[in-house]
Amino acid sequence: MNELETTRLELWLGRILGWGTALSAVLLAAGLILSLSGAPFRFASALTSGGLIILLATPLLRVAASAVEYLLARDWLFAALTTTVLVTLLGSLAVAFR
Amino acid sequence: MIPELSPLLSLVLFVAGMAAGAMGALLGLGGGVFLVPFLVLGLRLPMHYAVGISLTTVIATSSVVSSGRLGRSLVNIRLGMVLEVATTAGGLTGGIAAAMFAPATLQRLFGIVAVLAALAMIGRLERRNVLLDPDIDVGRLGGRYYEDESGAVVCYQVRRLPLAMVVSFVAGSISSLLGVGGGILKVPALNIWCGVPLRAAAATSAFMIGVTATAGAIIYYGRGEIIAWMAASTVLGVLAGSRAGFAIGERARAKWLKVGLAAILMVVGLLMLVRSR
Repeated sequence: MNELETTRLELWLGRILGWGTALSAVLLAAGLILSLSGAPFRFASALTSGGLIILLATPLLRVAASAVEYLLARDWLFAALTTTVLVTLLGSLAVAFR
Repeated sequence: MIPELSPLLSLVLFVAGMAAGAMGALLGLGGGVFLVPFLVLGLRLPMHYAVGISLTTVIATSSVVSSGRLGRSLVNIRLGMVLEVATTAGGLTGGIAAAMFAPATLQRLFGIVAVLAALAMIGRLERRNVLLDPDIDVGRLGGRYYEDESGAVVCYQVRRLPLAMVVSFVAGSISSLLGVGGGILKVPALNIWCGVPLRAAAATSAFMIGVTATAGAIIYYGRGEIIAWMAASTVLGVLAGSRAGFAIGERARAKWLKVGLAAILMVVGLLMLVRSR
């Protein structure tokens, strides 16, 4: 991957991280405010949990996007490295929900 | 042991998140080093729950900080992606191991790490950068970026990669066990041993800690140790606070402020040691 492609990848990853966090913050705030104002518990807590899951999924998505981009650029070393990180995160998921 | 949802406690967590986020941003760390002791000593939350909440704030901080910095070549994403192999492996290991430790043991470990971090922080007030000729070949992992302060292009090569990998693995484990980012270990190591300039080391570390903390946070979430409304209140506070902290940090050459915060961290670390039972 050359320097221009790397910068493009960085901007793309930056957008994923920025939008993921923003979406998560909106859901967390909405869920929290609804919970505190006595809205139906299941609806409010679904929003809060959704916000948390998006927060945790954002870095995972960032790693997956890098792996795809490195594969497309035929940069095999970095494709392998990012895939290893992705597999490790999936390992965490497997431990969490076994 | 786990408090019921209440507006007051939610507000307390939000404010604590803000304070921790601001102090963390000033010091170039996440807020976890301040947040975990507050949750454990102040709110009497069990250690594992405090760590779970703190990990979610580490992810939020990393994502927000990196989204603003990426594309300006300060973050060395190639180096970051190599080291992430080690930090996430450490994060996974620490996340599994955390269940095997008693809360008091983790609390003592936290105290030791916090005291060492405070000492390291005072030591790194004098920044040291290895400046190279701008035309040098920085290799596959090295980097170059434009530094506003000096108005020059800073170039660096990465030395002792295996050592950086070992430190990253340890930092990842510590992150999952204690709910901190682990930058406290990686940044000085990358800077002093591997030749990465301090700002690039800090930016690259901030980029990595989100993925690292995710490896641990997923496991805490699966064990039911992340209380959603508590994490939500704290994360929102940290997001607000870290913005303020960066704004202050960029403006003021806040050397004495940093010494002060390092002193607070030292006291907090000692309290975690003394009160661990």
